[in-house]
Amino acid sequence: MSSHRIPRVGIGGPVGSGKTMLIEQIVPILSAKGYKAGIISNDVVSKEDAERMRRNLATERGLMQEDLVIGVATGGCPHTAVREDPSINLSVVEEMELKHDYLDLILIESGGDNITTTFSPALADYFIYIIDVTGGDKYPRKRGLGIESCDLLVINKIDIAPYVGADLKIMERDAKIVRSSKPTVFVNSKTGQGVDGIVSNIIRDLLFEARPKSLVKN
Amino acid sequence: MFMDNEIDNQDVSLLQMSDSFFPTGLYATSNGLEALSKIKKLKSKDISQFITIFLRQVVGPSDCTALGSTYESCRKKDIPALLITDRSLYFMRIIEETRSASVRSGNQLLKCVSAFVKHKKMLKDYQDAISTGNATGIYPVSFGVAAWSLDIPKNKAGLILLYGFTVSVIGAALRLGILQHFDGQDIIHQLRPVILESVLKNINRPISNMWQFAPGLDILQMKHEIMSSKMFIT
Repeated sequence: MSSHRIPRVGIGGPVGSGKTMLIEQIVPILSAKGYKAGIISNDVVSKEDAERMRRNLATERGLMQEDLVIGVATGGCPHTAVREDPSINLSVVEEMELKHDYLDLILIESGGDNITTTFSPALADYFIYIIDVTGGDKYPRKRGLGIESCDLLVINKIDIAPYVGADLKIMERDAKIVRSSKPTVFVNSKTGQGVDGIVSNIIRDLLFEARPKSLVKN
Repeated sequence: MFMDNEIDNQDVSLLQMSDSFFPTGLYATSNGLEALSKIKKLKSKDISQFITIFLRQVVGPSDCTALGSTYESCRKKDIPALLITDRSLYFMRIIEETRSASVRSGNQLLKCVSAFVKHKKMLKDYQDAISTGNATGIYPVSFGVAAWSLDIPKNKAGLILLYGFTVSVIGAALRLGILQHFDGQDIIHQLRPVILESVLKNINRPISNMWQFAPGLDILQMKHEIMSSKMFIT
């Protein structure tokens, strides 16, 4: 049984919004600062995302051990797996906590639409919801559990906003209205533009500026 | 006509544990049905047969036997016997993914129940045995310890276990698009005698006579385990 809870970030968003690519940008930045992360990927129909992150972040770049990327099948119920019955995810998280107590945080990725996605507080301590501009600049204004309840809203693919007629200023204005004082970050997760801001939010609001465990021990 | 109108806390606990809303993670498993659905176009009667074989050849003689044995161990406060049941069932599960999913579900079930059931020594002792590596927490045994701790009668616990299995396969079939919702309920209704018979035949079976034999289903689950694209844990 796990004795030390490692801070956990839930990253939710619609299929194709850029969750996996965002994690592939976040982990190297965290790693450069000395923070070690584990990844749990809730795959809807394939192991592709977990395998890609394992290959990219562990095998090729050596930023983490290969067994720190774990794929979880959800039986076609990704919302259930992170919300009302997170049993399997909790079990995998606790196994990770037990085997790798040196980790600073665990990233839990799950596909899920804006209407219903939210993470059980038993599973995630900090909730990032990611959307992209292709849904139009009305997206934040239309609200939804994901956009409204997340700790950090990420709006991705800002580079193609002009081509899909999405006005980022409107999205920013509406996000502020809908989310009160909670932050929103605009990114291009393909190039990494804006991702530093996400990492800063995680370090400040989840880790409370704690130094990486590896540096504290040394 | 109702002969008995008495209800009590045990009945509510029984409903709680049999509810698909009760968190166990079992909705994420298809027991190989997903692999079968890729091989052939399945109809309603195929799902019924699939569940029947599982109940008669696997879940009845192994899971239900383990559940009955767990109850006896709890009644006698016999931890060593409970650990034998735990280990025997664990090693009988030959599909790795099914085995690990069962252990994960069982452990989470115990944590959930121990959040609201206090002062039950067997529940605590079993969890201690898991945390020290002396038990695995495999689902039917964890379920038995939890149900016993909630004072649910043994035969009814057997019914919940097998009913829960049946519903989890029906749920998988619905999500795979094999069945529509009325068909699912019809199958559950038709399978009532099979569920009942499987409980009564196995719940008092000694652990030394526990068995399972469904090589076709084992191979199917092995195929599912290695599929690169799938919705379900095997």
